[in-house]
Amino acid sequence: MTMMLETEPTKLPLHEEHLQKGARMGDFGGWLVPLFYSSIMEEHTAVRTKAGIFDISHMGEFLLEGPGALDYLEKNLPRRITPVRLGQAIYMPLVNDQGGMVDDIIVYRMAEQKFLIIVNAGNIEKDFDWFNARVTPGVTLTNLSDEMGLLALQGPLSQTILLECFGAFYKDLRRFHYKDFEGGVIARTGYTGEDGYEIMVPKHKLKQIWDVLFLVGAKHGLLPIGFGARDTLRLEAAMPLYGHELSDELTPLEADLEWAIDLTKENFPGSAVLKKQKETGILKKRVGFEMTERGIPRQGFEIQKEGKTIGAVTSGSFIPTTGKNIGMAYVTAAEAKTGNAIDVMVRGKPVKAVLVSLPFYKRKG
Amino acid sequence: MDFPENLRYTKTHEWIAVQGTKAKVGVTEYAQKEISDVVFVELPKMGQVVQQAKMAAVVESVKAAFDIYAPVSGKITNANKALESNPALINQSPYAEGWIFELELSSPAELGTLMTAAQYHEAVQQAPKH
Repeated sequence: MTMMLETEPTKLPLHEEHLQKGARMGDFGGWLVPLFYSSIMEEHTAVRTKAGIFDISHMGEFLLEGPGALDYLEKNLPRRITPVRLGQAIYMPLVNDQGGMVDDIIVYRMAEQKFLIIVNAGNIEKDFDWFNARVTPGVTLTNLSDEMGLLALQGPLSQTILLECFGAFYKDLRRFHYKDFEGGVIARTGYTGEDGYEIMVPKHKLKQIWDVLFLVGAKHGLLPIGFGARDTLRLEAAMPLYGHELSDELTPLEADLEWAIDLTKENFPGSAVLKKQKETGILKKRVGFEMTERGIPRQGFEIQKEGKTIGAVTSGSFIPTTGKNIGMAYVTAAEAKTGNAIDVMVRGKPVKAVLVSLPFYKRKG
Repeated sequence: MDFPENLRYTKTHEWIAVQGTKAKVGVTEYAQKEISDVVFVELPKMGQVVQQAKMAAVVESVKAAFDIYAPVSGKITNANKALESNPALINQSPYAEGWIFELELSSPAELGTLMTAAQYHEAVQQAPKH
């Protein structure tokens, strides 16, 4: 058996707490993160049936403010920001001039002319440069990534736990809305396909909040969740991940993210390319598939149809709650039909699979 | 951790139990802990010829695939089919029900290159800690 190589990644602010909870740490894009505490199987199940806490403090946060902030975002983002109300957040891909995806982000409206932008950890520098290069007078951009920490509380019992911890003030928080909390925010967002919250606070307050959540959550079966289960949960919910389903070369239309951009909006970066692609049609598309023979799909595995290559796997895994082996992939638009029988090339051998509609998992209610 | 005295071990964390001209192979207690939950096993085919230190099987956790190497060269005479329906046997019983394959040794002298339990124990203690 071969082991993975050890490197020297950055530690999370709650590194010691993760070790205390028995975490197996590992590298994730230059960060030393908990891969799992008990097991991916147990943690995936806990989030689907009870609740779990994720430390996602590796994520990046930018503050964009000033009298020109709204105009700036309207000019540079692929969705309309003016209708986003105070206390509301919105998801979208960040699009480059060629129509490719720089990243996917969430924009929070903090005030009329003040916005918080959450970006992927591995893209902090690239995204900051992207925003910074477009800054105009009257716009101030600040990178808060080193100051803020982020916890996610996810699962059907997350509301019960959150209200017990922090009070009824957060009771009527709607999906993709947030309220102020301890110098940061509590938002009803997540990356698991379950109900849940993301709690952003200054780093020095993280431990206190982590402790309170466990103190209250223990009796509800709350578990700490590592990055292993974070990946299987988001895969099952068919949420794309930069570096897998999203890249600087792939467009939001190919990624099946047309719902997260606004093609009626004029002149955002890449808008002309995307409008043209919408007219002429895409050549490849993000799809989901389920293995019908034994084998686990992994990123990079080729996809064939009758011996011809039609695409490649971008994410794949065994799913603990269902026992199924599933994946997401890009295949030619002509073959991107639900029910289409395909072969996934697992270590050089074709293993049968079938295209299924996304998401693989949708919570009830 | 438990490393039975009667087995021989590889640097890549396989064990081998020799009985006459045949031997059973599996992964060690240390390896099953490192892999974590085993969810899939790809077994070698009957009659397949394997070379020492070359891939003979694949064990997968939720997140990753691990190649399992043949501790010695030989021809596959049996494989643990029970692992196909219950791969977790590797975690639950790495030295007994979790065995992976059996082979007929073609170069028994290769056994001399493997580690004893004491040597393996020492090697594992020097491995990087998480």
